[in-house]
Amino acid sequence: MKAVWVYSESDAVSNEVASAAVDVAKGAGAEVQVLELGAQRPGVFASGGKLLLKGPPSSPTPGAAAEAIARAARELQPIAILTGATRTGREVASRLAAKLRIGCIAEVSKLGADGESIFGERNVFAGKAVARVSCPFPAAATVKVGAYPRLAGGNGGLQEKDVGAVSDPVKVVAREAKSAGAVDLKSAKVIVSAGRGVKKKEDLAILEELAKEMHGALGCSRPLSADLGWLPEEHHIGLTGVTVKPELYLAVGISGQLQHVAGMKDSKVVASINTDKDAPIFQASDYGVVGDLYQVVPAIRKALAARA
Amino acid sequence: MKVAVCVKHAVDETELKLDQGGRPVLGGAAGKMSTFDKNAVEEALRLKSKHQGEVAVFMVGTADSKKTMKEALAMGADRGVLVSADPAAIDTFRTAEVLAAAIRRSGPYDVVICSEGSSDTYSGQVPPMLGELLGVPYVGYARKIEVSGQSAKIERSLEDSVETVESPLPLAVSVVSEINEPRYPTLIQIMQAGKKPIEELAADAVAPAGGYRQVSVPSMSSQPSTRKHVMIEGTPEEAAAKLVDALVKEGVLK
Amino acid sequence: MAALDPVFAVAYAATVASVALVFLALALFARRGSVSLSPGRLVGLTKDEASRLGTGDAVFLMHLSIALGVGLSISYSLLDPALGLVPLLRTVILVVSLPLALGLVASFAWRVERFVSSKRVEKALGSPASFTTSSSYLQLILILAIALTTTELVLLWFPSLALAGAAVGVLRNVLVAAYYARPSVNLIGYFDKPLHEVRVPFNLADVMAGKTDPDSIRSGVSKASEFDAAERLSFDSCVEIGACEAACPATAAGRPLSPRVLVRKVSLLAGSGGPAVDPFASVGEDELWSCTSCGACVASCPVSVKHLDIVYDLRRGLVAQGRLDKKKSMMLENLAQTQNPYGFKNSTRAAWAEGLGVDTLAANPKAEYLYWVGCLSSFDQRAQRIAKALSTILKRAGVSFAILGGEEGCVGDPARRLGEEGRYQELALQNIEKLNAYGVKKIIATCPHCFNALKNEYPGFGGKYEVVYHTQLISDLIRQGRIKVPPEKVQSISVTLHDACYASRYNSVFDEPREALAASVADLREMHRKKEKTFCCGAGGSNYWYEVPQQKSISGIRTAEAAKTGAKTIATECPFCLSMLDDSTKVMDAAMDVRDVAEIVAECL
Ligand SMILES: Cc1cc2nc3c(=O)[nH]c(=O)nc-3n(C[C@H](O)[C@H](O)[C@H](O)COP(=O)(O)OP(=O)(O)OC[C@H]3O[C@@H](n4cnc5c(N)ncnc54)[C@H](O)[C@@H]3O)c2cc1C
Ligand code: SF4
Repeated sequence: MKAVWVYSESDAVSNEVASAAVDVAKGAGAEVQVLELGAQRPGVFASGGKLLLKGPPSSPTPGAAAEAIARAARELQPIAILTGATRTGREVASRLAAKLRIGCIAEVSKLGADGESIFGERNVFAGKAVARVSCPFPAAATVKVGAYPRLAGGNGGLQEKDVGAVSDPVKVVAREAKSAGAVDLKSAKVIVSAGRGVKKKEDLAILEELAKEMHGALGCSRPLSADLGWLPEEHHIGLTGVTVKPELYLAVGISGQLQHVAGMKDSKVVASINTDKDAPIFQASDYGVVGDLYQVVPAIRKALAARA
Repeated sequence: MKVAVCVKHAVDETELKLDQGGRPVLGGAAGKMSTFDKNAVEEALRLKSKHQGEVAVFMVGTADSKKTMKEALAMGADRGVLVSADPAAIDTFRTAEVLAAAIRRSGPYDVVICSEGSSDTYSGQVPPMLGELLGVPYVGYARKIEVSGQSAKIERSLEDSVETVESPLPLAVSVVSEINEPRYPTLIQIMQAGKKPIEELAADAVAPAGGYRQVSVPSMSSQPSTRKHVMIEGTPEEAAAKLVDALVKEGVLK
Repeated sequence: MAALDPVFAVAYAATVASVALVFLALALFARRGSVSLSPGRLVGLTKDEASRLGTGDAVFLMHLSIALGVGLSISYSLLDPALGLVPLLRTVILVVSLPLALGLVASFAWRVERFVSSKRVEKALGSPASFTTSSSYLQLILILAIALTTTELVLLWFPSLALAGAAVGVLRNVLVAAYYARPSVNLIGYFDKPLHEVRVPFNLADVMAGKTDPDSIRSGVSKASEFDAAERLSFDSCVEIGACEAACPATAAGRPLSPRVLVRKVSLLAGSGGPAVDPFASVGEDELWSCTSCGACVASCPVSVKHLDIVYDLRRGLVAQGRLDKKKSMMLENLAQTQNPYGFKNSTRAAWAEGLGVDTLAANPKAEYLYWVGCLSSFDQRAQRIAKALSTILKRAGVSFAILGGEEGCVGDPARRLGEEGRYQELALQNIEKLNAYGVKKIIATCPHCFNALKNEYPGFGGKYEVVYHTQLISDLIRQGRIKVPPEKVQSISVTLHDACYASRYNSVFDEPREALAASVADLREMHRKKEKTFCCGAGGSNYWYEVPQQKSISGIRTAEAAKTGAKTIATECPFCLSMLDDSTKVMDAAMDVRDVAEIVAECL
């Protein structure tokens, strides 16, 4: 039976990629196999079966993961290997492609396959265009994170394969979690940004909470940092501050002057909340809510909590 | 220390035009040095200023790309190698293969630096592929690089953690933009850089094509580039719920 | 006086010798600085100074007292033997000496005040002791020279003390020869160099045509030895008068810059060490970035020191060394990539004009005027209202005009002021090529930075047009009756006009906006600093795109001045001034509204 393999270093992402793999397997008439490296991972689900590769350490470096999977693939000949498009996943897929001399499609969503090849869609040119990409089997692919629902259960049969010990000349000597407060605005995927619509410094707390709940960082317009000093200087976004390109920019109580917009105009999706329906920020937004942030923000937090 | 840095002449997405059918027009589109590649060049220059040696710029591109090559040389790189091929017509593997061959040809290098991904297509595949094809240790997403003797200590910036790794030289790395602030070359410096040596090679002469599966782009369409301007109505609760729904559908909120 | 008295003969000889020394020094410095001391220039200078008499500027008058006081006492002592024969002349001189002595006393007091405040500034800037000493030394000499001259004028009244007078005069003449001959030469050489004239280190067109080898180009100064003769003469001429420091908005805002200190530093540096001295070891980067290029220093300097030449040359040096932070380099990259400093898609420039029936030149190549919109009025929603208002006025008056739309590129001023001359010239050449291709003859500008570049700088690169400022055109249209403000539409508001540096100080446009406002509003008030003495809004010299450390904001100082007039509206004539002051009124919660002259007039039609 032809197989589509799934691998991600993160359980959550693995469960998303496993959903994507179902579509590919269906089109190609194949079955899905979710990979586990070194040790079993109870949080990883599979609609088809699981394949445990023995030999690599249980949390391998991307180099070791790629080597282990490549060894297995040379023997078992899957038609496709899918990883999540995380930093690690991109590296693993690319290295696999180079080792196996196969093509690799990147950051794809809407995956599918026919008898010969795998295809999908991806954003290019800073989101200005969508490209349909395809590659003949065997192929690798990195799947856009967040594009598929997470598989919430399912565990087919477990197979094992010993690939032998693998090692990477690159040695990890330390690992430290990025502290939530130190989230770098430039690399944040979601930014909640506060403007003068916020009445008091203490009120920033609810936006900080919201940012946390959205797995994002808190930014602000210049008056809040430069004039009022409520937030450190490096939080202000715009012409004289930082330039950001998050996936989601949520402007709360920001009027949207050019000097501010210049720093966030390349965000993928912009949403804004403002009491003034004529505020220029709505011209720069995909979604706008005319309303008082003191009512809308708590309501959003409730809506988020209801989803979780 | 010899440093190779890979640079792409990327499509400038700001001025991208669309044709009648709403497809982006790539022929004749304005180009620029891929944004993060500036960080890669800057890091190469910093390594050079600390450890002496030379910086060579490697690029796969068409004749248009020379503008970007000169910019990298104007920043302070010593020489360039331009392998002619249309980066839009070849896939990431082929790009990495050609770069690897060109680098090997003029090497060996102690460090090969790329940026994490190009600003136009952002696949992030070439750097790890290059590491594999060169057969050297590879470290991705570096936000700090310290070389001492024959090894390097590197901080990798991952989604929610920072990992410190050690690797022997030679090695290949990709850098993230937080690693440095690239210098701005002046127009006159770019003109002066026109005199630095640029070696031009044909892709097929460097590495014969074939023998692998090529990724293709059967079609491309535009996304509306202007904002959607959807105004969400209702009570705060209704509006909030609708907003969250919309953002989840956009795939920007988990 | 007995002509044959040997003591007096010796005194007279000493006087003549000391005066000769002054002229010798003048000739020496003129030669070194290649400055011509021709009678024509002297007449020109005299006329120029006379024309400033009318302004009643106190600093200028004090300065004039010093110059005339010295001149009078020298004339008196040289004419001394003859005065016995013409008693009337003696009386005339004595009478004239009275107001001069008063002016000198005032100057003395002013000098002491400047001395104290200059020490305060130096302390705030953390200037090293060696620096402070040399500055104090020069200021004390100036105070001494004033005291000596005053004493001499007083002594004229007491013939019995003539010997003492002669001794004082000789000492003062020696001081003048040693310290003030060089500044006089600088003044004569450069009094008529216009404020807007920027030194051009290379011509990009020649480089592109292969006529100039790019390797031969040195843009700016990275070593003290690279200042040329004219600059050296300029900064070595500084005698610590401090008028620049008193006028400088950067100093007033507590930024790390005083033009006086900068000039002294550079002079010490160039005089002190070997040729390779790194100017940035003593001149800080933020010191240079603090300057808004408002020109107040240059305009106020009585001896024609050109502070801005030094600022630009050192900024060019920083740019060449890549010493730019992200904000500055991003602005330059945007200019290179998108032809506007904000990084917006340039083809969307004309979005503001949608639905207004404003033609592009491509659609209407016969239009009489090209309206040069400028980047801020193209992309900023607030500033777009200026462009819309002007369009309304022009249409109402039946003026035929068109815009370039997406073909307009940044005029280049932000790049030039930041010190990236190449990028500036590239933009200028691109724009000139388009303008010439359309055969443009007349241009209207609403941004004084565009206006200044188009009017004064582009001709040097092959772009010669008749350029008018919108306030000039509007007041013309009112005067000609082509637009009329009916009495019932005159706004009953109190307005104060903030003159933009690049319109007023740089280009002497200041009466026209007042005329336009006088026709449109009931109550026009003036701030203390106005017209060519205006105070910067803080945005010029590319300051709009970055920030420097400061104690208070320049725009805040200006907004407070405007508020003091009691006016409820600040009228501006520049989109940057509008943006800065508007922002400032919001931050300060000042209940004032900020509008461009064009908007105010358009509302009255
Ligand atoms: C040279 C220069 C450079 C500048 N650079 C920058 C820069 O880099 N970044 C930057 O941000 N700014 C910059 N500015 C300032 C900029 O012009 C604006 O003044 C600033 O962005 C406005 O900030 P704001 O939107 O928070 O405040 P405001 O303009 O005061 O807007 C507040 C908004 O909140 C809304 N609001 C009020 N109450 C509520 C409520 N209860 N719920 C919801 N909404 C509410 C109001 O309707 C209003 O739209 C710069 C200005 C200048 C002159
Ligand atoms: S130009 Fe203006 S800001 Fe710059 S030094 Fe002179 S007075 Fe100060």
